Amino acid sequence: MLTKIGDCIVRGWLLQKRLFKRYSFLLLLVLPLLLSAGLAGLAKEESGIAAIALYVPKDDPIAGQMGERLLGRESVFRFLSCANEKEAVELVEAGKADAAWLFSDKMEETIRELAEKRRIRPLVSVVERKESVPLILARETLSATVYPAFSYAVYESYVLEELGFTELERETIRQNYESVAVTGSLFERVYSDGSTAQEETFGYVQAPLRGILAVWLTFLGLAAALFFMQDEERGVYGRLSGVRRFFAFYRVGGVFLLDGTAVLLLCCRLGGVFTNLKREAVCAAVFACCVLAFSDLLRLLCRTPGRLGAILLPLGAAMIALCPVFFELPYGKAGKLLLPPWYYLYAIHHNQYICEMAAYAAVLVLAGAVIRRLRGRDS
Amino acid sequence: MKRAASYFLTQLKRVLRLLPAQMGISFVIWLCVGLLAVLLVSQKADEGQDRYRVGLVGDVSDSYLGFGFAALQTMDDSRLMIELIQMEETEAAEALSRGELTAVMRVPEGFVSSVVSGENDIHVTYETAQGQKGLAAMVMEEIADAASTLVTASQSAIYGMQRTLYEQEGADRVGRETDRLNLMLIHFVLSRSGFSEVEVLGYADGLSLEAYYFCRIILLVLLLAGLSGSVFFLHRKTALAGILRAGGVGALLQITGEYLAYLVYLCVSFFLPFCLLAFALERGMLSLPEWEGRGAEPFLAMLPFFFAAAAMFAAFQFFLCELADGIVNGLLLQLICGVGMGYLAGYFYPAAFFPERLRSVGELLPTGAAARLAESGFLEKGAGGAGVSVLAWLAVFLLLTAAVRQARIRRG
Repeated sequence: MLTKIGDCIVRGWLLQKRLFKRYSFLLLLVLPLLLSAGLAGLAKEESGIAAIALYVPKDDPIAGQMGERLLGRESVFRFLSCANEKEAVELVEAGKADAAWLFSDKMEETIRELAEKRRIRPLVSVVERKESVPLILARETLSATVYPAFSYAVYESYVLEELGFTELERETIRQNYESVAVTGSLFERVYSDGSTAQEETFGYVQAPLRGILAVWLTFLGLAAALFFMQDEERGVYGRLSGVRRFFAFYRVGGVFLLDGTAVLLLCCRLGGVFTNLKREAVCAAVFACCVLAFSDLLRLLCRTPGRLGAILLPLGAAMIALCPVFFELPYGKAGKLLLPPWYYLYAIHHNQYICEMAAYAAVLVLAGAVIRRLRGRDS
Repeated sequence: MKRAASYFLTQLKRVLRLLPAQMGISFVIWLCVGLLAVLLVSQKADEGQDRYRVGLVGDVSDSYLGFGFAALQTMDDSRLMIELIQMEETEAAEALSRGELTAVMRVPEGFVSSVVSGENDIHVTYETAQGQKGLAAMVMEEIADAASTLVTASQSAIYGMQRTLYEQEGADRVGRETDRLNLMLIHFVLSRSGFSEVEVLGYADGLSLEAYYFCRIILLVLLLAGLSGSVFFLHRKTALAGILRAGGVGALLQITGEYLAYLVYLCVSFFLPFCLLAFALERGMLSLPEWEGRGAEPFLAMLPFFFAAAAMFAAFQFFLCELADGIVNGLLLQLICGVGMGYLAGYFYPAAFFPERLRSVGELLPTGAAARLAESGFLEKGAGGAGVSVLAWLAVFLLLTAAVRQARIRRG
């Protein structure tokens, strides 16, 4: 038994040496690392799904506070501070900003006036190049920025006029408000494993990195299958049959995916999307096993390197479209269930998917065994 | 030169043998892309399906909470985007895993008393079906932040009013005044869109989102076409290259001959899908805002731009396969370079979402040059600088490929 394990390790090591002698194999291990490090470095710069030019009058304290709040917060929008209205509108006209938000010069006075009349009237002029979904969402942020000052003004006027405490000083009214002011968020995003989204500090530029790496690792498994098939054509495995050829493929694929998994984990760390070592290691290990079984099944189904090569583009397109790499489509669940990256991308925060991925790998191994059995010696 | 020409013809014959299978594959790919597009369009047309479906779990029988959710579903602008469905925990979890819900929102026990008391220490949690957070989750966080601000600012106003009443010995009025102020603030929250007035300049020097993705998807398929065209790169021997060189067909001529044949191979394999696309545009089965009512004519006018991009991508695929020793590594290099460079050039997310420096890097890449060229074609401008960049990249890739071939022949 020990001799067999030792033999297996030696063969694996020899194959590893053979792969490392190919500079292009090293290159394709290095490229994802460069992509991850580059993305993490460049993502630190300011970015947003829409650029918004802000004109906030300096002499209006309420508008000043709103401007500070917008410019100081972390957001999916990028805010550009402008000295005057003209500059902000020019940025929009020049295509350097998607919208301009022009705050009223008499914000404090107007808010107070509107609160007293219990009416809502425009306080901010929005100039947009073209209406779009991000800009509609951005206006929700704008409303939420204006509303606290407005609701305070409503409270103040309510106390003075509706409650009839006209003798109360404004300062006392403010102190009463501030002593009970509520802060903090009412909502929290959680994952089924109990972790919260706040634990993840990366931006959306890095968000697709894990998906890209998952697709890359799947292709590495398929590359192992192609590599094995080419060796088969040369007669390297001519004397092996049945179970022994199955183990030979798993050894070759194992070496490819061992390197790939190490690179995947390193890339996640470099790219800033790493969660914790235990979870990452377990998910990556199960994912690698699933990819290995998936590649073996496709190898058996396609039978020739030409056919396997021909399905790579449709398969890559399906993985990019159906797995949550860049976006998530609510359709094609049946197709999604066939793709290993889909399980991996969910498994990182949902324990249930780790089990499902392992079960899927077992199903793939079984399907492979059935095909081998049906085909006989040469598979 | 005669030998070079006959080498090209040999490659062309090889291409003809591979074509039927390749055409079948590209037909299947485009059929899938078409089906996906039809699915998306048909889903969008169905208004009921256009909204995000959010499962609501927890006891919302409390009058405040019940009223809040009823208001959200009947009066607030968000009703056009979000549909709230009250569910049991297990039912919601199953629906989420089946992809029938976008998210599940859980209202924990004690939430209302936490809000009423102003402690806000119990959070409404929401779980989406996604894995690690992505752009959609980040946008959702932004909306949740905005919603939370609206609620907490209203709470503060009410508590401030209550405190003032207690201080001014008006405790007996607290209940009534709280209800009045509450209703007033709810009215303001529902009318919040009135805080801004919108002027749309209607500048259209850029592409609509539909046109942007129309160009990018075609470019992406052309960029990754080398993956299914990989059969062309099988069984290439260095020894044969050496013999050809000895016979007077140098590395550059070999590469040119093989490249031209490969380009013919790609162009012919994409002929049918492009015809189908033109047919769909002509018959109005597919339409873009910029091309409304113009049929397939603008698309046909764009074909030279796509051809230039395809020629450059073909040279790029050729270079990667020559660089890689073996088809396996060649395919992987194509995938990682294609997806990575495509991402940086805005093939997946609009490039405008990226930081300035990342955008500049993306524009310099071959994928960025091809995208700029396609955009010029779409806007019916001349090829200009983008055309020069594409041709420059094409020349660079061909020369680099020849250099790699030369080195390989020398090494034997």
